[in-house]
Amino acid sequence: MKDCYLGVDIGSISTKGVIIDDNNKIIASSYIWTEGNPVEAVRKLLDILKEELPKGYQIKGIGTTGSARKLIGLMLKACIVKNEITAHAIGTLTFYPNVRTILEIGGQDSKIILIKNGIITNYAMNTLCAAGTGSFLSSQAKRLGIDVEEFGDYALKSTNPVKIAARCTVFAESDLVHKAQVGYPKEDIIAGLCKSVVLNYLNNVGKGKKIVGPIIFQGGVSKNKGVVKYFKEILKEDIIVDENSHLMGAIGIAVLARRNKTGNVYSLEMKNLKFITKAFECHRCPNTCELLKIYRNDELVDSWGSKCGKY
Amino acid sequence: MSRVGIPRSLFYYYYGEFWKDFLDSLDVPYIVSPETNQDIVNRGIKIANDEMCLSLKNYLGHVDYLKDKCDYILVPRISNFKNNNQTCTNFWAAYDIVKNKFSVNLLHYNIDLEKGDTLKKGLYKIGKELNKNKYEIRRAYRYAYTKEKKRIKKNHIINVNKLKLKTIKILIVGHPYNLYDDMIGKDIIKYLIKNGIEVIYSDKFDSKITNSLSKKLSKDLYFKYSKDNLGAIVYSQKNINGIIFISSFPCAPDSLANELAMRKLKIPYLNLVIDDSTSFTGLETRLESFLDMLGGTLND
Repeated sequence: MKDCYLGVDIGSISTKGVIIDDNNKIIASSYIWTEGNPVEAVRKLLDILKEELPKGYQIKGIGTTGSARKLIGLMLKACIVKNEITAHAIGTLTFYPNVRTILEIGGQDSKIILIKNGIITNYAMNTLCAAGTGSFLSSQAKRLGIDVEEFGDYALKSTNPVKIAARCTVFAESDLVHKAQVGYPKEDIIAGLCKSVVLNYLNNVGKGKKIVGPIIFQGGVSKNKGVVKYFKEILKEDIIVDENSHLMGAIGIAVLARRNKTGNVYSLEMKNLKFITKAFECHRCPNTCELLKIYRNDELVDSWGSKCGKY
Repeated sequence: MSRVGIPRSLFYYYYGEFWKDFLDSLDVPYIVSPETNQDIVNRGIKIANDEMCLSLKNYLGHVDYLKDKCDYILVPRISNFKNNNQTCTNFWAAYDIVKNKFSVNLLHYNIDLEKGDTLKKGLYKIGKELNKNKYEIRRAYRYAYTKEKKRIKKNHIINVNKLKLKTIKILIVGHPYNLYDDMIGKDIIKYLIKNGIEVIYSDKFDSKITNSLSKKLSKDLYFKYSKDNLGAIVYSQKNINGIIFISSFPCAPDSLANELAMRKLKIPYLNLVIDDSTSFTGLETRLESFLDMLGGTLND
């Protein structure tokens, strides 16, 4: 039996799973939509990975990352639960040890990681505002009546991207409506949107950061050719987009799972697992914390959300 | 005997202990509103205008909590500390907003050091309002002032000693009414301490030292508390591993001063902007990765 390691990255929009072997080779991977239900998405994901996994492998470690990492970490009894910035950096450094800058745009957040000699020197993440992230692009795609996957191709057709306010999603949206009603062609509007995502990113997270090559662009939005084109144009540097750029977080956490293996062997079979969460509001003090209790096979494994730590 | 209410917000975090010593010595009973909780936040949001910053909203919540529990509420206005040292305009506005929004008695503590007022004058006014004679007030002021001076010295020494430690040290830059507020910065600091980080607070340095040091980062800044914060950065820069900026949304002085500092910094920093809806999950992601970076756990 050969050893392998599972990394699961549960983002707000998509759930990614990767199984790697001891040589960091990807032996199974999958990318599905989270659809607001991380637990169900992970069940589905594991079913797909189970089919894909070649015979003769046993899973020796599981790691979780992404915004639902804690919840899924409990569900899968993961040996490591880590934030997505760390995971992305580790994943990228595994394949590109010389990288200097990692640009990442996901569904709800965007980040920039600066690396020097293989050591992370600084990073930034969007603060309150989710403008210019994947969810903004997909909601605008819906408004324009096209699939978000086709966005990049449309953008590349345009020679004259319209100017769209890049600072705020709300302004960008009203700009977009005006431009469409005035009669600009769809390609130009879409190209303008892609450009505004880039400008917004550079003015927001990239602000004050020195961006030097080699630059790697990842996260779901990196699959959008339009955005890649405008990054190249504005930064005047080559942008590397790995074919697994959308899986980098999952790869990183799988690598971390290997480093933290405990010797246990894990199963991908989740059919008989009962995993439920119950929410309630505590009224013991004026804080009225929203609490969440998590049950694994009817056993209370954790509860979150209390300020005082009573639960 | 009339009771004084002190809202636990804004100026309280600078002068709270000073006032309490003063009132103690005068034998005036007082009540301080509790640590900010969800109820106080909700009260504040109801009263406040939507453009106000979270800290001012919370302040109004604290006043609302106190309004029927005391005879006077101490709502100070210190608009200027002389030598190009202004306070935030929200600090100026708080007095007028409270006066117009609540029907309570306010203790007058309006001072402008630029126009020749002093902190002492302000306290004398309060003493008179509370029917105390000159001698009592003078004694109380001297008592409070001596204690305050000792406190500043002690805090400064503790901070300076921390800088000499060999562990991972993070300088927390922010206004004390945000850093120590239960609903804004306290959870962040708790998280850092739980993870074995030595926390150094920007406001615990002696502002006499930090205020003038800020000139090394900017000569044009005119907000007193921003200057103090930048000075703290200059003072400790070489002896810390990273900086975390904590501010409330949408703080105007911070958006200017912190930005300025970030652009000139050579060490890792993290900028956290807190609003009333900010969940700790999002903050945890940022803090965890920041500590990963500082601790070098990423680079094995």
